[in-house]
Amino acid sequence: MMKDARLSFMLLFLFFLAGCNEQAFTKINPHQSFVASVNILEPSILFYDGTEEIAKWEFDKAYTGASLIKKDRILLYGHQLDEADLYELSSGRKIQTIKTGIGTTNAYYDEEQEKIYLTNSKTNSIYSYDDQGKMLKELKLRNYPMSMTSYDGKLYVVNYKDTILSVIDMDTFVVEAEWEIEKSSNGIIIIPEEGVAWVGGHGEGSKSNQAIDVYNLQSGELQSEINVSLMPVGFSRNDDTIFVVNHGSNELFAFNLQGDRLWNIEVGANPFVVTTYKNYQVVAGYDDHKLYFIEDQKIQKAIETNQGPFQLLVREVVK
Amino acid sequence: MKKLSTKIWGLIVLFLLVTITFMYVLTEYLYEQLYVEDTETTMIEVGEKLLTKYKGGKVTDQFIEEVEEFNTYSNFDVFAVRNPRELSACVPFEIDYDALIGPNERKELLLGNAVTKIGYEERFERQIISVIMPLTDQNRLEGIIYLYYPLAKISELANKDVFMIIGCAIIFSALLGFFVYEGIRHIMRPLNDLQQAVEKMSDGHYETRVTVTSKDEIGKLSEAFNEMAASIEREDEAQKNFLATVSHELRTPISYMKGYSEAILQNFIDGKEKEEAISLIAREANRMERLTNELLELARTSNEQKFELYPIVLAETIRDAISLLEQKSVEKNIEITTSFDEEIIVEGHEEKLKQIFINTIENAIRYSNNDSTISILTKIVKGNAIIEIIDRGIGIPEKDLPHITERFYRVNKARSRSDGGSGLGLSIVDQLVKQHQGSIKIKSELGKGTTVSISIPLMEE
Repeated sequence: MMKDARLSFMLLFLFFLAGCNEQAFTKINPHQSFVASVNILEPSILFYDGTEEIAKWEFDKAYTGASLIKKDRILLYGHQLDEADLYELSSGRKIQTIKTGIGTTNAYYDEEQEKIYLTNSKTNSIYSYDDQGKMLKELKLRNYPMSMTSYDGKLYVVNYKDTILSVIDMDTFVVEAEWEIEKSSNGIIIIPEEGVAWVGGHGEGSKSNQAIDVYNLQSGELQSEINVSLMPVGFSRNDDTIFVVNHGSNELFAFNLQGDRLWNIEVGANPFVVTTYKNYQVVAGYDDHKLYFIEDQKIQKAIETNQGPFQLLVREVVK
Repeated sequence: MKKLSTKIWGLIVLFLLVTITFMYVLTEYLYEQLYVEDTETTMIEVGEKLLTKYKGGKVTDQFIEEVEEFNTYSNFDVFAVRNPRELSACVPFEIDYDALIGPNERKELLLGNAVTKIGYEERFERQIISVIMPLTDQNRLEGIIYLYYPLAKISELANKDVFMIIGCAIIFSALLGFFVYEGIRHIMRPLNDLQQAVEKMSDGHYETRVTVTSKDEIGKLSEAFNEMAASIEREDEAQKNFLATVSHELRTPISYMKGYSEAILQNFIDGKEKEEAISLIAREANRMERLTNELLELARTSNEQKFELYPIVLAETIRDAISLLEQKSVEKNIEITTSFDEEIIVEGHEEKLKQIFINTIENAIRYSNNDSTISILTKIVKGNAIIEIIDRGIGIPEKDLPHITERFYRVNKARSRSDGGSGLGLSIVDQLVKQHQGSIKIKSELGKGTTVSISIPLMEE
């Protein structure tokens, strides 16, 4: 009798604990557009509509990055965490945990293929998952795969500590080509109109990189270099402009698709990321933990966010 | 076995070495502390001055040049850095090289604070003290001013002098060791003298004395030794005198007896003379017997340090003693008057107590004139029973009074045998009274008489 009582009490306690663990964050309306900053010094995601904060999700896990999946989900991963968590925006709840092993450097979701790709620096591999979080395949790449983008059925992966960019056929999941690139390359954007890929980077050793390397999509050859200021690592674009953030010089550069500089401004402190949201270019200052909303080459607004904004996620719902 | 002086010397030298080592370490520590602190303060001051040259915005080549120019006039190295790679700007990304400042320092610098570091720096391949001043503008770490100075060890600074310092320390230690050794030898000399004197003493040289040169513990010890030696010498002398006296006392009656008995044997004397000779022989034999008895008694009382005391009625004991001596007093027609406090009960040993009174009263009778009176009275004074034996006899000269209780001491040496005393009676009394925790006082006036007062503690209630 006594034992039963204790058992049921313990079960109750466990449910209670599990309930606590299963914390629900502020729900995000599916019809809500937002730009969200993924902060890594104070692990959190802050959602903004325009320049208004609409939700603040704060975590007690050391997430180092996040990726938006199918508009209503966010996959959070950590370089030192052995699992990635999938959250549903509309419910504010964690819906799944994916065992990844430690070393996850980046997550990329391809909308056409409806697949999630995770790169890992411990195994130097890329893993593909379906959108339910089921692992499909593993593919060995080069040293420290990290930056990813996709175009026309191909996945382009920059190996951060290597001099090779891996081009993967997403259907067969095999390395189709390897391009020679600079070491410590980071950030890639494909410009289909020109048939090129722009690759940024920090620079090797103590030497800062001051240029964007332009590669021919077909041949993988280095086609040209675009001079910027210091350490271009973040790319974004709208229809006719490419935005590049230089974290070494705290500058945002705007280029036309051909690589001609249109304008540049100084923005933020140590910004790693730029994105476009509505009519804004949004830049996150890692050191001053501020989001800068830029329009017409001017900073329209700066918003304080949590410490260490490192990535920006954008969801624009067309009404 | 090591000598005491060697031990003390070793201890002092050890302390000395410990002190020198401690002082060295302390000096180095203090030096480093002060030196480091001073350098740090100066560097921060200079850094702050250089900071005023920075007007915000990007760190210009001109600024870097200016800082470098200052370097030529400064006694420590200064340079400005604006390369974000060196400033750990890429830190969320893994960096594969050693930046000038780490992520934590960057965080501190971003807050506008100066960072001070002390320790080994890989880049400069040595121990340095460095101060990093941030060049910040709108929360941007545009660059830093890096000031550093090699942190030389005191031994490194005094590179050439280090051997001299060690040499000096060794010479200083040796010199100090030598003087300490000499000092201790000087202090210990009386002790050595004392040791030699003790050795001489044990060989029987009781006249040995040491010279007292100081008033310290050793001086006091020497004085005590001298006193002890004098005491032993005196005792030894007394022993020798005693033996001489005893043999002398015994030899005289023996020579009498020998002479008269030989004369009788060879018929040199006869008739009335012979009878006289025989009675003389008998008298001398008696004297010898008494002498040996008293010697035995003396030896016994000397050896017998403690005996059991019990309550005794004083008056009765004195009466017993008087009755034992009645014959002798009658012979000299001496009247003994008594005045006793019958209540007095003392702590005592009956036989010994009786012996005290017999000896004293016998003495009084012996040195009293015929037809005189001896008074004996008892009283209580301050918790003690006082027994006074007063005779009206020949008295004792004042100079002899202090020696009267010494063995074989006789006031009139020539009278020794005629008055029949052995010279041991009062010695025995003195010892017995002391064994009763009592005391004896003798007052006397020559030709008028002697008063002996004996004090014995009363029985405790």
